[in-house]
This record gives sequence, structure tokens and C-alpha cells, in this order.
Amino acid sequence: MTDNQLRDEVRAWLADNWNPEERAGFLAKVVEARWAAPRWPVEWFGRGLDDTQARIIEREFAAVGAPGTAQDRTNLWANTVLAKGTEALKHQLVGRLLRNEVGMCLLYSEPGAGSDLAGIRTRADRSGDGWVVNGQKVWTSSAATADYGMLIARTDWDVPKHRGISFFFLPMKQPGVEVRPLRQITNEAHFNEVFITDAAVPPDNLLGREGEGWSVLQTALAYERSVMGEAARGPRSGAKEAGGAAPMVALAREAGVLADPLIRQDLARVTALRQLNALNTARAKADLGQGTSSSLMSLGKLAMSRILHEEARLRTAMLGAGSLLEGPDHPRAEDANFLSLNAYFTSIGGGTDQIQRNIIGERVLGLPKEPEVDRDVAFREVRGG
Amino acid sequence: MASLSPEERTALRDGFARLLADRCTEKDVRRTMETASGYDPALWGQIAAMGVTGLLVDEAHGGAGAGPLELEAVMEAAGAALLGSPLLSSAVLAATLLAAAGDEAAKARLLPGIADGSLIATLALTGDAGTWTPEGMAVTAAPAGNGWTLDGHASFVTDGQTADRVLVAANGPGGLALFEVEREASGLDTAALPTFDHTLRMARLTFDKVAAQKLDATGPAWDAVQAALNMGLVALAGEQAGGARRVLEMTVDYAKSRIQFGRPIGSFQAIKHMAADLLLESESATSAARNAARALAENAPDAKAAIALAAFACADAYATTTATAIQMHGGIAFTWDHPAHLYLRRARAGAQLFGNSNHYRERYLQALEAQA
Repeated sequence: MTDNQLRDEVRAWLADNWNPEERAGFLAKVVEARWAAPRWPVEWFGRGLDDTQARIIEREFAAVGAPGTAQDRTNLWANTVLAKGTEALKHQLVGRLLRNEVGMCLLYSEPGAGSDLAGIRTRADRSGDGWVVNGQKVWTSSAATADYGMLIARTDWDVPKHRGISFFFLPMKQPGVEVRPLRQITNEAHFNEVFITDAAVPPDNLLGREGEGWSVLQTALAYERSVMGEAARGPRSGAKEAGGAAPMVALAREAGVLADPLIRQDLARVTALRQLNALNTARAKADLGQGTSSSLMSLGKLAMSRILHEEARLRTAMLGAGSLLEGPDHPRAEDANFLSLNAYFTSIGGGTDQIQRNIIGERVLGLPKEPEVDRDVAFREVRGG
Repeated sequence: MASLSPEERTALRDGFARLLADRCTEKDVRRTMETASGYDPALWGQIAAMGVTGLLVDEAHGGAGAGPLELEAVMEAAGAALLGSPLLSSAVLAATLLAAAGDEAAKARLLPGIADGSLIATLALTGDAGTWTPEGMAVTAAPAGNGWTLDGHASFVTDGQTADRVLVAANGPGGLALFEVEREASGLDTAALPTFDHTLRMARLTFDKVAAQKLDATGPAWDAVQAALNMGLVALAGEQAGGARRVLEMTVDYAKSRIQFGRPIGSFQAIKHMAADLLLESESATSAARNAARALAENAPDAKAAIALAAFACADAYATTTATAIQMHGGIAFTWDHPAHLYLRRARAGAQLFGNSNHYRERYLQALEAQA
């Protein structure tokens, strides 16, 4: 099929089927018409198209604001199942995941395994044809509503840490899974703790082979990274802020401190950080467009965490004693204080700044790794706590 | 202005970088910085033959007719190699001032020599205040017969001791104006200044009824000066970005090879994290310098902000990188024979030249306020 034929077909189909006022059932139609994952093979809801033609479909969907395509790039769950799941699990879930009929969550981090994710101690032991799981997971969003959790658990304690891990789809709606909201320093609860006690995993729900969970996890994380553009949250007060080239300048004007020479220096410094990061990102994209790999991409998260902490600090400085207050009557204080705390979401979450510096130092600059004392040691012997 | 394609620009920068890798080694830099002129005439000839001295000069006057993008690219290479030369004074500041002032006779008189490297020119823009602002100038002009005479002083004049011609901004009866002075002019006293950056040449000029030729500027004199300073800031930013990148490379290489406690020091997170932070500094400097070149080339609405941003971001990044690099190296970089201090000296010089970072942060903010 030529590009033009394909474009005409998508347009015609969207004209017949897409109505922004009538969204119910649309996703099922997208899947049925094979638009949901056009790069995938025909036997799995796809059309076996190359990237160029899949992008044509994506552009046509975007042009009319219709959802549901590009899931071969963006649906973490469906991609992971298709790539690593058993035949039975694929038949059971891929279609439903594309139709967004299955609630999902991630069961990776543990209280004792944050930066050192391969140090997990949640265990999965053979029980009949399946497994029984015991342990505790943390930082899980959507756990209360999820049907399945993508779980990493230790199945072999007598090999080094990366080699004894397996990757499962854990059914969440069972007695052995208890979800408790986790109250954050911002006084919000976006995440949960998940306590797992003798929970059952059916035989078909192992992804990859037993002991190969770390490599399945890398596949899943790669999908996750390609999907999640670092979306840092803005102020939560909802109070209107002037936009424009320099929102911080407008805030300083509003706070009556725009004439203060120290604040002015600080404003320029902090505003520059955000602009420099935008310039770096633009340059990274241009580099990628030319087919050369860019070291700039890996710097973005580290830069963003500095920007968020610095902006929050400056907002606080501009308010002065006003930042002592909170609540709906003090929206600027609410913003400054919230952003000061929430900046840690970026500087700790998804790899702390310190881990990020290790990654940049080792993968980009080629510096040698620290010696690892738990390398080549049976996990049973590794110190925990 | 005829801009080169990105590929041609890369080729120009790479060709220039190869010339400097061959002829501007650390040994060459050290030899040249001990000379009075501060540059190697043979290398200067090769730089000119490559077309770099004539990069900004229009084709009618023997140049390449290129612009800020090409300039920024070659200055990255110059900064990496720590080139000592009158490139900034003559090929950037003087060439831009002459083009911006628009005095056709002066252009015909001076630009061909600047373009082929046979004539070195520089600008005298500030007095002992060292502010590179209209308020900082300390030369006055008075009519004398058919011409003019200059009195007062100018300081921090880059390559003032080697320049054949000095273009001077002076206050006269009609306000600020631009003048051309010959090095041998009677009443002109040129005193070389001892510079902390030994690769840099600066002089203090004293004017005592010095005969000068007034440039017939087509617009306000300060506009031409500002155009020259803008181009100079883009050049300096490129030099700083290139220098920062080279210093980081040197430092990372050292961290991979220096063994303490039985392992490369780069395997210690204390060192690795400093290196990661410096990568962000030098990449941001590169982005800022190239963005300023882009904005100036397009005469974009954000040009003032982009140039001010590059001025302080690149100066600060270079200063941070060179200072941290010494700390990361340890004792070896505390020795005269190690090149780290040469880069630190250059970084500290660039951070003051044409105005310091606080000055440009204020200008950046003013530009943002105007945009908002």
C-alpha cells in the first residue's frame, strides 16, 4: 500500500468512526480496525507496517484529536506482554490491554531496594505449576484499582543478585495482596505500599524464563523510558500565573521584588537554567535527527532536578515571610512550599541525582565503575538491611 | 551575509582544529605566550590563508562574507587549543565595527588588510573603569584643523601593543564618535599591561593631542560599538565552550589513568560526580554559544537575551570547569608545567572581558522583561 493510499484509508475511517462527543467504544473499534498497533504483526492486531507508515497513521489521528493509535510505541504493558509473555498470556491480555480494559501497576521497588533495584528480597517460590509470592513493594501508583502488577521477585537465592530474579504478572485482586496509600511529604498520596502474603501467580504469568527477570525488566524499562517524557508538575494552587517568556519574572513583579538587585541576579541565573536545558534538549533532538547519538539526553533529568529545586528556592526567597503560611488563602506560599518539597520527586524518583551522575560518568564519559562487593556472590550471602 | 551550510561549517571548524592541533600544541602555546607580541606570525599567516581572519569581512573587501555561526564554530576550536592571537581584536571586533559603522573609505582602507591578516587592528572602548559601556570611556575628541585630536586614556585594549591601527570610541562635541589612530601617531603612548592570562595581550593607551581620522559612521557610533561587542561576545562564548569541553576531556582522561588505592580515581563517585556535573556545564555552554550565534545571525527578536545568556553562561561554565578540573587532577595540576592553570587563566580573563557575568545577567533579565 502506498503512503497516499494509507493516508486516505485512515482519513476515511476516522471520518466514519471518530466523534469527539461519542468516545465510548471508540478504542475497541481502533483495535478491531488494526490502527492501535500498526507496527505489530497481523496476527497480533497489527499491520506489520514500518515506522514511516505508522507515523502517517499517528499524524492523521493527532490531526483530529483521536486517541488509541501508536500503542506499539506507547503501551508499556501490551508491549511487554507481546515481547516476553507466554502464548496463553498474550491471548488472554494483549487485546484487552490495547482496549484499556485491564488496570495495571508496577511492582519493582522495595523498601530495601531503591537505587539498588537488583537487591529485591520479595520471593516467589514454586507451588504446584505456579508460584507463591511473599514480600513488600513500594512507590506503586494505581495499585488499588489494578488487575495485574508487573512484578519482579527472587526465585533463586543461590546465584548472584541479577541472575536470581523472575518477572511475573501478579493478579492483584486476591486476598494475599494488600494495598495501603503512602502519604508523601507534600501531604498527598499518589503512591501505595503493597504487602504481598502467600499470593498466587498462575503458571502462564511468568514472562521470559525463570531467572531471566532482570533482562525482561530492562525491556520493560526501555518501553517505559521511551513513553515517559519527563513530565514535571507545576504549581498546584491553581492560582493563575502569568506565562510568557519568563514566568518567574512575572512572579517577582507580583511579589514586588523585581527591583531588588539580588533577586534580579537570582532570577537571571535560575531562568537561564531552564532556558539552557531547553537549548540542550533541542540540540539533542537535532543530533538524533542527524543520526549521531547524543550525550545530552542523559543530562536532561539531572538538569531538571536542579531547575526545580532552584526555582522553588527562588519562589520562596521572593515571598519571604509569606512562605511561612499555607492553605487556599495563600496560593503563592502554597506553590512555593509544594514545589520545594515536590522537587525531590524528580531528584530522587526514577533514579536519584547521584545514580544519574554515576550513569553519566560511566556510560557517557566512560569512567570505570565502582568495585561491587555483591558481584559474583550468591544473593543469600549479600548483606541487606 | 553568505552563511555556510552546516556541513561546510563543520568542515571549516575541523580544518581549523587540525591546523591548531598541529601548530598550536601546548608547547607552542607556552613558547608563544613568552613572546612580546603573544602570537606566532607563521601560524597567523596560515590562519589567514585558511580564510579565518577574513571570515566576517565581506567578499568585496577580500573576505569570506560569513557570519556568527561560522565564527562561533572556529572559536570553539581556538578555545580548545588555547590559541593566542589577535583574531578576536582584529578579525572580529575591528572587522565588525568597520562594517557596522559603514564608512566606505575606512572599509576600503582597512578591511582587505584585516581579511588577509597583513594588518592588525583593535578597538579602544573603555578606560580604567573597565566596563565596556558608554560611561566607562575616557577619551575625548576635539576638532583640529581639517582633522581631529584625541586626549585621555583607554585601557584593557586587547592587542593594543601589536595593532597597526586602533579604532577608538571617544566623546566629542557632537557626542560619541569613532576614530582611527595609527600606532606610530605622535602623542600616543602604548604601555603593555601585565596580564594574568599570559596568552592574552592588553595595553593601556594614553592620548596626548593624537591626530585621528574620524569614521564617517552612517548611524549612531554606539550602535557600531554594540555590534562589535555582540560579535565579540559570540566569539568569546564559542571560545569558552570549546575550552570547557577540552578541559573536561583532559580531566576525564586523567581520571581514567590515574591510579590511587589500587584503582582509577575516576571510579570513585567523588570524582565521577564532579565529571558528570562538568559535562552538564560544558554542554550547556555549547548550547548557549551556538544559540547566541544563531540569534545574531538571524538578527532574531531574542538576540539580545541570547547573547547576554551566552555571555554569562559560557563565562561561568568555563570558570567552573577549569577550577574544578584542577581540584579533580590534584597535585599535578598545581604545577606550572601542567596546562590546567593556562585554561583557568584564560577562563578568568574571559569572565571579565567586555563586562562580567553580573552585568550580563542584568542585561539578560532586562531583555526578558522587554520580551514579556
